[in-house]
Amino acid sequence: MTGPDARLALRSCMPTAIEIRGLAKQFRSVRAVDDLTFEVAEGRVTGFLGPNGSGKTTTLRMLLGLVSITKGSATFGGKRYVDLDHPLRHVGAALEATSFHPTRRAEDHLKSVALASRIPLERVDETLDLVGLTEVARRRVGKFSMGMRQRLQLATALLGDPEILILDEPANGLDPQGILWLRTFIRHQASLGHAVLVSSHLLSEMEETVDDVVIISQGKLVLQTTLSDMANQAGTGTGLRIRTPEVDRLTAVLDAVPVAWRQTAVDTLVIDRATPEWFGPFAAQHQIVLYELVNERSSLEDVFLNLTQGFDAANPMESGAGQSAPFRTPGEPS
Amino acid sequence: MIAVIRAEWLKLRTTSIPWVLASIALVLTGLLMLLYFVNKGAGGPDHQGGFGPPDPNVPHTAQQLRDLLGLGVNIYVFALLLGVLIITVEFRHKTVTTAFLVTPRRPLFVAGKLLIAAISGAALALVVLTGTVIGGGIALAAKGGSFGALAAQIGAVLPGMVLVYALFAVVGVGLGSLLTNQVAAIVVSLGWFLIVENIIGGIWTGTARWLPGGAAQAATNLSAGGSRQIGLFSWWQGSLLILLYGLVFAAIGSLVLTRRDIT
Repeated sequence: MTGPDARLALRSCMPTAIEIRGLAKQFRSVRAVDDLTFEVAEGRVTGFLGPNGSGKTTTLRMLLGLVSITKGSATFGGKRYVDLDHPLRHVGAALEATSFHPTRRAEDHLKSVALASRIPLERVDETLDLVGLTEVARRRVGKFSMGMRQRLQLATALLGDPEILILDEPANGLDPQGILWLRTFIRHQASLGHAVLVSSHLLSEMEETVDDVVIISQGKLVLQTTLSDMANQAGTGTGLRIRTPEVDRLTAVLDAVPVAWRQTAVDTLVIDRATPEWFGPFAAQHQIVLYELVNERSSLEDVFLNLTQGFDAANPMESGAGQSAPFRTPGEPS
Repeated sequence: MIAVIRAEWLKLRTTSIPWVLASIALVLTGLLMLLYFVNKGAGGPDHQGGFGPPDPNVPHTAQQLRDLLGLGVNIYVFALLLGVLIITVEFRHKTVTTAFLVTPRRPLFVAGKLLIAAISGAALALVVLTGTVIGGGIALAAKGGSFGALAAQIGAVLPGMVLVYALFAVVGVGLGSLLTNQVAAIVVSLGWFLIVENIIGGIWTGTARWLPGGAAQAATNLSAGGSRQIGLFSWWQGSLLILLYGLVFAAIGSLVLTRRDIT
């Protein structure tokens, strides 16, 4: 059921909240989403990452029955969104480009949703409190700032106390305090055992929030893994940056050992995949003066950018180890 | 169903739609009454004859009083606009995303709109009729007529007005579900009732009874208490025809909406 991908097998012990199988969307001549397969586990936060226009919103909207599916399936515990009995009690969604009626008060917006979904009206005040909008409950939404709208979206999503949350770019328009608040909020939701699928075009925004990552580019899956796994991979893509007045002597002795290096400035070299533990004694042995010795780790964001930009859309998986290619540096030792 | 009506009414009353439409409809009704009394001042026809009051120019027969009370029927197009706006406002302000998340089965979404349109259309009829009774009553009393005699005719006019308004609000939702662009929907619906239908009816006179406007004329006969225009259906046939128009539009609209991508 989970397919041949080892990463999915690794995660199969966790109950699945959302399953996307071979999902595709054709908008006239544009293939917005193509053969996308991934899943979201309960009690975890899954970051759905990709550049703008990579098909994130289209995927989420197919999942929620707003956009028709060309091929494949997108289900919650085996059920399509339209087939859920009380959708808002299971799935809460805050989507981008959703709007509010400008003359409607925040409270009335939530009340109308609660009434239509048969959710007790007490939840209106509870969720307003939860997102910190109690004081502006009676204000018309037309006067709301972007950040307040985002919070009202979240309140709408939370109204039915759902076990699955889908948030599309929730950090857009939030100030730094707002983003911090969002992070705490999302972690809290996961701690309650809820599944959270949150999309973003910035990994750095989500780095401290997500457990799992699903990366797509041009409508296709690039990578599904855990954040810690990705961080490890990012860590292995290291180089050692060395600043020395004796560049010529250093390069001469380096040529004698099987490492790849490149000169990045007049007095600076980068040795791929070298560790200070190896290089320190090596330099001492050859009595080379060092001014600087820095372990260069590529950040998660670098990895993310590499994955989404260097990704060959025409030839996604066929490139053999296409998924790990960006981590491999040419000429690694032994 | 009660929950859907409560939710939809909350949504409707928190927009300016019902308040603006009701205000304009009341102003227009006032103008129609003004015209009516000006014309009557010149000596209008006396439908039923019989005993006349001291001033024959003041409406006094049952038919005259009903005509006065039923003036609001002539602006049933406001009920149509109400229906159009009730559904297209969701698309105009992109609130339809939330609406479809709440009600993922789109025919049910349209059904909810039909329901609230029928109810609020009926309410609009009551507002207009109330305005007519008050305004017409005052004008009548000022001219020496009897307010009591006017009030006695309310029962005869009320059902027809409520029916026509409710039905046309339903037609409006049907049209709006087909044409979700608010401006386009308003232009098409007004254009049809004010221009196109008159042209078609003028060229092929036989078709008039089958067109929405002709059906509306027939349905308003429930208020008038008789056939004011020949060649039309009876009031209940006309009403059924209007309902049919509304439901057919809504059914096609539901199908179209179901296939539509909300991006």
